[in-house]
Amino acid sequence: MHGIDPAALGASLLTLLQEIAAPAARAAEEAASRPGTAERSLRFLAGAYIVVWGVLGAYMLILSVRLRALSRQVRRLKERLEG
Amino acid sequence: MEDERGAALILEHLLLALVGLLVPLCLWVVFVAVPTEEKMGVVQRIFYFHVPAAFSAFLGVGLCAIFSALYLWKRDRRYDLVAHASAEIGVLFCTIVLITGPIWARPVWGVWWTGEVRLTSTLILWLIYVGYLLLRQSAENREQAARWAAVVGIVGALDMPIIYKSVEWWRGLHPKVLKMSGGGGLDPRMERALLLCTVTFFLLFGYLLIQRCRLGRLEDEIDALAQDAPRRGTGAPATV
Repeated sequence: MHGIDPAALGASLLTLLQEIAAPAARAAEEAASRPGTAERSLRFLAGAYIVVWGVLGAYMLILSVRLRALSRQVRRLKERLEG
Repeated sequence: MEDERGAALILEHLLLALVGLLVPLCLWVVFVAVPTEEKMGVVQRIFYFHVPAAFSAFLGVGLCAIFSALYLWKRDRRYDLVAHASAEIGVLFCTIVLITGPIWARPVWGVWWTGEVRLTSTLILWLIYVGYLLLRQSAENREQAARWAAVVGIVGALDMPIIYKSVEWWRGLHPKVLKMSGGGGLDPRMERALLLCTVTFFLLFGYLLIQRCRLGRLEDEIDALAQDAPRRGTGAPATV
């Protein structure tokens, strides 16, 4: 009876994984060689930075609005309790 | 308590001032001082904010796990506040990672998304902590929410080493940013730019964390005042 060779199994799994990843790797090579890539890249770069600062700015704005509203609410409640 | 709040306020202003100074410097370094990467071109510059955002997301998740464990041990509400705030900010930075990643991948890999392990495990991390935040909102009482969320906060952090080691374990397509030995293969100027952006993001994280904890304290104060109102007979409503 023959057992499974772990090394051969490992090599086969590795090949399988490389085959799965191959389409994305090919797409990457094709994308890099396409004309107008620099212009497109700039658009993507601008989009990414807008997203980063947009998300952070929106969160900071929401946080400060909520903080102000809650501070007002605490002040009002304290006034009612004391008054 | 007042001293503690005063110190937090000073630290908050200091962090904001530092972030205000460092963000324009980061932008100048990223867009002017750092050389353009040969293979990927200008789109590689996304890396200088994508990677620090990922580190900040890890910081948020890590802090959430630590403070969740502390809460389960000590049952101190303050630990739960920090864990909640860290998770929320961690989700914020993880969202940035998950948006900027595909924006980088589209021109470089030619696809927005692929079933690569690092991408998938990062998406899972995001889903776990969005679940954490939803769980807190849907629980019937605060004590129960804190207890259950703490468990999710600790278990969810187990995804972090998988994300970090996934490129090595599964030989994924995702570029390896840090190598434990032999350097990261980055130009020293790129390394310095990455370090500067990471420090800036960590300072921003600290600023947001202090603000978010203050928000949590105010919510607690409102609850306490609203509970106190009927006892004093002032008739103040629970919510204003």
